[in-house]
Amino acid sequence: MESLQTYAPLGDSGAQHLVRMEGLSKVYPNGTVAVQDVNLAIREGEFLSFVGPSGCGKSTIFKMITGLTGPTGGMLEVLGTSPKQALKRSDTAFVFQDHTLLPWNTVIDNVTLPLALRGVARKEQRTEAERVLELVGLKDYAKAMPRQLSGGMKMRVSIARALVSRPKLLLMDEPFGALDEITRQTLQLELLNIWRQDRKMTVLFVTHNVFEAVFLSTRVVVMTPRPGKVAAVVEVPVPYPRDENFRTTPEFGQLVRAVSEGLKH
Amino acid sequence: MSENIASQNLNVDMDVQARSSDSRGGARGGVSLRLRTYGKQLLPPALAFAVFVGGWELFCRLAGIKPYLLPKPSDIVHAAAENAPNLWVSVYTTISEAVLGFLISIVLGVGFAVLLASSKLIERSVYPYAIIMQTIPIVAIAPLIVIWFGAGMNAIVIIAFLIGFFPMLSNTLVGLNSTDHNMKNLFHLYNASRMQTMFRLRIPAALPYIVAGLKISCTLAVIGAIVGEYIAGIGGGNGGLGYAITVSASRLQTAYLFACGLSASLLGIAFFLLVNAFSKWMLSSWHESEMGSEG
Ligand SMILES: Nc1ncnc2c1ncn2[C@@H]1O[C@H](COP(=O)(O)OP(=O)(O)OP(=O)(O)O)[C@@H](O)[C@H]1O
Ligand SMILES: [Mg+2]
Repeated sequence: MESLQTYAPLGDSGAQHLVRMEGLSKVYPNGTVAVQDVNLAIREGEFLSFVGPSGCGKSTIFKMITGLTGPTGGMLEVLGTSPKQALKRSDTAFVFQDHTLLPWNTVIDNVTLPLALRGVARKEQRTEAERVLELVGLKDYAKAMPRQLSGGMKMRVSIARALVSRPKLLLMDEPFGALDEITRQTLQLELLNIWRQDRKMTVLFVTHNVFEAVFLSTRVVVMTPRPGKVAAVVEVPVPYPRDENFRTTPEFGQLVRAVSEGLKH
Repeated sequence: MSENIASQNLNVDMDVQARSSDSRGGARGGVSLRLRTYGKQLLPPALAFAVFVGGWELFCRLAGIKPYLLPKPSDIVHAAAENAPNLWVSVYTTISEAVLGFLISIVLGVGFAVLLASSKLIERSVYPYAIIMQTIPIVAIAPLIVIWFGAGMNAIVIIAFLIGFFPMLSNTLVGLNSTDHNMKNLFHLYNASRMQTMFRLRIPAALPYIVAGLKISCTLAVIGAIVGEYIAGIGGGNGGLGYAITVSASRLQTAYLFACGLSASLLGIAFFLLVNAFSKWMLSSWHESEMGSEG
């Protein structure tokens, strides 16, 4: 039985960086150069967004971080070790565009899934699930079935499921892509609030939406397609908490412009 | 933050209330409507049935058709009533054989499919055969089963089982292999073991396919039982419907033959409806298309 509270210490080397990429490349067997020569060092507690048009290799980078596919060149280190080893530590959590909830399980059974798969005691599963359901504002829906929920609520459950294992690294691949603008903005605020409560958690966030990237992130990585390269890295030196007013400041406009410039390359 | 969440909850509450009142309104309007559509749906077929049976009776009487060629409906009812105890025993025997064969085909069909699907290598080597095997006309090898297991209940149950087994097996296999790719990834990323993925993801996801298999197999099991009785039926007091049919055919008791055939049809229909209702109930917990209204 695992305890949730104890974090395995990071490897001795590279302890200051949660994810390191050096000259990282991926060429698919069919010859597609999905990622080429990406250099990035991601600090603990960062909120890092990847923006770029469709097909620039954002998901491929995520697949390499989770060990679903191996790099064809360069170096990739996750949590101070190889992606496959890092995955085994259960310190990484995932949210996809598709909520991927199990339709035959209740909300709470969906949320406890990562803990159940690790054999965490039932009582602890419940306590943790109730904690995260409270965080996403769905504690009254523990017994509901996914089909009874709206799209936004399903995404909240999906986020709760990712948070339940107190991850060090949270990977989100276009999580709000399928939501309407109003729900999307509400969830952005909620996500920021959740992240701020646990500043040790590092978030990697993929999006097509420049505004979303600037609003959320400490840094925005701008990517261009064919071959998938980093065109620019834009720092967002605006302190948190950020609220709706941030969207209307001149600074926000400048940052959005800077990111959009990067996209034009 | 807390304000934000509170207002969020409120929104969500209103959302759900709106939904549930919607569905309640829908149900209230639906009752009388449903009765009316039932009436519209049931009346025409009932009339058609009456016309058909009446026409048959009339035709036989007017044309003076010999009862051993085509008995009148009244002859059939008479024959059934006269032999009611025998008919009942036959029906009971056939039901037991069909249900037993069906249950075994579920257990072994689903069980083997799960076993096959647990190992990529085994599955890849056996899968094509499992799919092709369901097209084998089991009836063609039924006599072999009689040679191996002797005439009687055993052979009949085995035939009923075999005929339902392959559809169960291949449906379940297809279902186990149709798991959503994203879901499989999710389980992989959370370090799920093979067993966990099987029992928490693949089997529940295969449920609609398993249910489709149940519907096919339950019909086939009844056919299997009756055909089994043709070949392996033993007489005496408790032969099944298939046996009664062969006997009455050889004695030219055509009216009783009709009674047995009708009983077999009714049995098959009732069995299917039962399995169908059970399937609906089983799927209703999660499958959208079979979803009923929720309280
Ligand atoms: N398994 C694969 N085999 C071959 N090519 C692939 C594979 N997966 C992705 N690609 C190609 O690699 C490139 C990058 O794909 P990727 O999915 O990483 O893009 P993306 O930035 O996530 O796009 P989107 O914004 O549409 O999700 C694309 O050109 C895609 O066609
Ligand atoms: Mg993608």
